[in-house]
Amino acid sequence: MTTTDQDYVEYVIRTAAETAIANEDYFCQLDSVVGDGDFGYSLARGFERLLEQWDEIDRSNPAAFIQKTAMILTSRIGGSSGPIWGTAFMRASAVARKHPEFTAQTVVEMIRSAIEGIQARGGAELGDKTLLDALAPMADAIEERAQSGASGREIAEHAAAVCSEAADATKELMARRGRASYTSERSIGSVDAGAKGVSVIVDEIAKNWPNP
Amino acid sequence: MKKFMNDPKNFVPEMLDGIARANPDTLKYVPDYNLIMRADAPSNDRVTILQGSGSGHEPAHVMTVGKGMLTGACPGDVFAAPPMDYVYESAKLLNSDKGVLLLVNNYTGDRMAWEMAKEALEAEDIKVDIAYVNDDVAVQDSTYTVGRRGVAGNFFVMKAAGALAEKGASLEEVKAIAEKVNSVIRTMGIALSGTTPPAKGEPIFTLADDEMEVGVGIHGEPGRRRDKMKSADEIVDELLEAVVSDLPFESGDEVALMINGLGGTPISEQYLLYGIAHRKLAEKGIKVWRSYVGEYCTSLEMAGVSLTLCRVDDELKELLVEPAEIAIRTF
Repeated sequence: MTTTDQDYVEYVIRTAAETAIANEDYFCQLDSVVGDGDFGYSLARGFERLLEQWDEIDRSNPAAFIQKTAMILTSRIGGSSGPIWGTAFMRASAVARKHPEFTAQTVVEMIRSAIEGIQARGGAELGDKTLLDALAPMADAIEERAQSGASGREIAEHAAAVCSEAADATKELMARRGRASYTSERSIGSVDAGAKGVSVIVDEIAKNWPNP
Repeated sequence: MKKFMNDPKNFVPEMLDGIARANPDTLKYVPDYNLIMRADAPSNDRVTILQGSGSGHEPAHVMTVGKGMLTGACPGDVFAAPPMDYVYESAKLLNSDKGVLLLVNNYTGDRMAWEMAKEALEAEDIKVDIAYVNDDVAVQDSTYTVGRRGVAGNFFVMKAAGALAEKGASLEEVKAIAEKVNSVIRTMGIALSGTTPPAKGEPIFTLADDEMEVGVGIHGEPGRRRDKMKSADEIVDELLEAVVSDLPFESGDEVALMINGLGGTPISEQYLLYGIAHRKLAEKGIKVWRSYVGEYCTSLEMAGVSLTLCRVDDELKELLVEPAEIAIRTF
């Protein structure tokens, strides 16, 4: 049996959900350094809802499935994470709808479209110490490896490494968005919870990548 | 952490259930989206006013639902903006012919959720608008942050807008009065201790016995600085200076003066501070028209207070003294 685009998308989203739920406390701790400590809690509640409804969701094609994911996350995650993560998945689903068959470049386009959506929703720019600072270098990394003809697994592993490094680098930045922004210079020295959260999820996705 | 609760996940629903059970004649609880609503809502005679940032600030906002104030409140978890569909479904349920005013305290998460809900409601031809509250003067550099936070001064916005809506004013008029009140309120808070959200289980920040956080936010966001503990006189001087110089309030102004307890400071200390502030305002030639002392917008069990001034004119005075029937019991 071959792995279809739908299988990959389900693998990625299910891994994201399970990782967010398993790391609830860790993500809260990350957020509590300069934020208000509820990032893990909010995310876990939304992804729990997604897994609860998993069997009833339309999974016949990636676009419909990603869109439903977006709607469940937006509707149930509180704080700023719901609108941000929901918007990201919504934008990704719009890209998926345009491409009946996925390539690595499609994935890059999905991530870049998600980044634009997040920027439009929350007003953040690169360098503001948000999850964008992990997502943008990761999209570049995937594009670069795909062009050199790397396998899916190699691309995923490279993406995870770049994402992790980028997330750790947010330590040096000053928060300019979200609740951490009120701490201004006091936010320097701790990683951004959103960026680190993305990196932990991508790490898990790469670790168990289903095919070569 | 010691708190009266079962499971942290059920902290907010069980609190809301308690509020509804304590006020069976006036309030209804809709568990699906954390909504506490007036039992007699919606009414096509009145603009619907909906609010609800995070929980943990009680009596704001779920206990300020009632005749003459909010039509409904749909808070999120403790210190977290409500999910977008709480706002969307609540607004649809409470929609009236006169429209819906969403009153939003200025925080990133709230802005995103409430603005997305507004877009979704407009797509269904529901008459809806937003007014923002951002009275916290502690946030000085708003170049990068989403700007000043909405804190205790929100009470005056809810009160005036609610009173005007009760008289049958239009959505435009109710929004205008909310914006007018927001333009004349200024607040600054000070904390003597941190606060522990149930889901987190440990304090957001801690202060040594001899420390205070000047300009603290109601979710424990850092303020202007951390300082050594000072006398009540010196603390009131600092809060008043920050607030008065900001609008600025001037000699001859008439104001409502609020000392708001953040949850863990005794009434005795609140009144002590009130007395000092009242005297110092008189020295500046600023006349206190009406007093508000107690808990209006808390931060769970945080020890601390905030001081709010609201400059009043005849129109605001009339609205602020209108009766309101809300869940905070008086006797």
